[in-house]
Amino acid sequence: MYIQDTLNNEFYNVLNIRSKKSLPSGHKQSIVFLSKSPPHLSPIRTITTAKMSYNERDTVPLNQSSQSDIDEIENLINYTVQSGPATVLPARPPSPPRASIPVSSSPFIPSNLPPPSQKPPSVPAAPPPPSNRNTNGQQQSNITGFGSPPNTLTEPVWDTVKRDLSRIVSNLKLVVFPNPFREDPGKALRDWDLWGPFFFIVFLGLTLSWSASVKKSEVFAVAFALLATGAIILTLNVLLLGGHIIFFQSLSLLGYCLFPLDVGALICMLKDNVVLKIVVVCVTLAWSSWAAYPFISMAVNPRRKALALYPVLLMYVSVGFLIIAID
Amino acid sequence: MDLNPPPGENYANPRICFFHVLFKAGALAFYILSALFFDSFVIIFVVTVLLSALDFWVVKNVSGRILVGLRWWNEIDDNGESVWKFECLDQESLARMNKKDSWLFWWTLYLTAVVWIFFGIFSLIRFQADYLLVVGVCLTLSIANIVGFTKCRKDAKKQIQQFASQTIANRFSSTIQSAFSVV
Repeated sequence: MYIQDTLNNEFYNVLNIRSKKSLPSGHKQSIVFLSKSPPHLSPIRTITTAKMSYNERDTVPLNQSSQSDIDEIENLINYTVQSGPATVLPARPPSPPRASIPVSSSPFIPSNLPPPSQKPPSVPAAPPPPSNRNTNGQQQSNITGFGSPPNTLTEPVWDTVKRDLSRIVSNLKLVVFPNPFREDPGKALRDWDLWGPFFFIVFLGLTLSWSASVKKSEVFAVAFALLATGAIILTLNVLLLGGHIIFFQSLSLLGYCLFPLDVGALICMLKDNVVLKIVVVCVTLAWSSWAAYPFISMAVNPRRKALALYPVLLMYVSVGFLIIAID
Repeated sequence: MDLNPPPGENYANPRICFFHVLFKAGALAFYILSALFFDSFVIIFVVTVLLSALDFWVVKNVSGRILVGLRWWNEIDDNGESVWKFECLDQESLARMNKKDSWLFWWTLYLTAVVWIFFGIFSLIRFQADYLLVVGVCLTLSIANIVGFTKCRKDAKKQIQQFASQTIANRFSSTIQSAFSVV
């Protein structure tokens, strides 16, 4: 366990360094995506800020907000807050330290490194970048010094794509894998994204559908609908129990915790032995539940923990049965 | 909002316009044509929803900011509250935006939503719950983008008012002109 933790730690550090190198200057990167600082030079103004609590929000699904969004927030705040671009600000003023690993802005170094390694089922081929250079904005490669990073509004599309992909991977690591340096789980999935869960659900549906010898379409549709509505209902359950969790954050979390079951379903598809299936499903089920436990339990009143956790476990168990029963 | 693209300009970002339209058209085309080629609902579902999700991403992250200078996102602040932010470029930059680009952007945005609504009605009529699911997902993605970007448009109200008053003014002046020409 110790060795594992050390390895993880080193990997995270490597990931950190890689990310620092691969991002434009001013991007602060950590496992938990820190908001970045630096002021930028393009005129951007917020026209409205609709502040809504999670109860009142319109249901806007699938928000694939990318890191560029957070960058833009940073830029906006810093643009209004400070005048000169010479200094590099830390993370936006009111935010608490969001990562345990201290991060500083670094000047942009064009990245020669490949993007961080991807989990096999999760990441699709990103859409081909329409243009490498934005016709409107300033060039990424103009490094004007330590304090004036390029504006993410005009960054090349490929950078946005890469950032989104690395966010998916980091969210996955955060949620699913053991991480002793993980901070408070309530804040850990702050940079939720729905791409990861989307691909995990689709992959699970596809695997189940391939494993089925009859009624493939129905299996897929049932699996997809079950998981999607299950995630929504479970989130509502937590909210109705008086829990403090953001709707999309919880959807994102429940989706990411499907990853072990994805792996289990893949193994079960490849090997058809019933005993092996049961063993694999039990292990991956335990892993999924273990991954989901801290987030859910932190979100609700301790006396209602079981009420919130039980349906989650039930859903994963039913998916597990589905995996075992498909032949 | 006129039916024809504004004359006299070319597209400033032809590749981005192309991609903006590509995924929308791809999702719609695949949905329509797949029944001819594929028997399996699974492939139709996965590919259509995937294309639709890619289109959502492209519109939100790329063509929104480049073609019309708008963006919107959600962040979670330190109190754990969720905040939606809507932004637009300032007036000078907005004025510099290519008119053709933004015409294309808005028209395709609204048009795809309308087309998906039609498909939804068709599948409702035919009682195909599977296809209704696909259409539902694609429709929610389109509407999310429409709502997000419309909220960004600071001058949305002003434009609508302007449009209304302009129409009335045009009608009024043409009526007067025709009255004078008759006399």
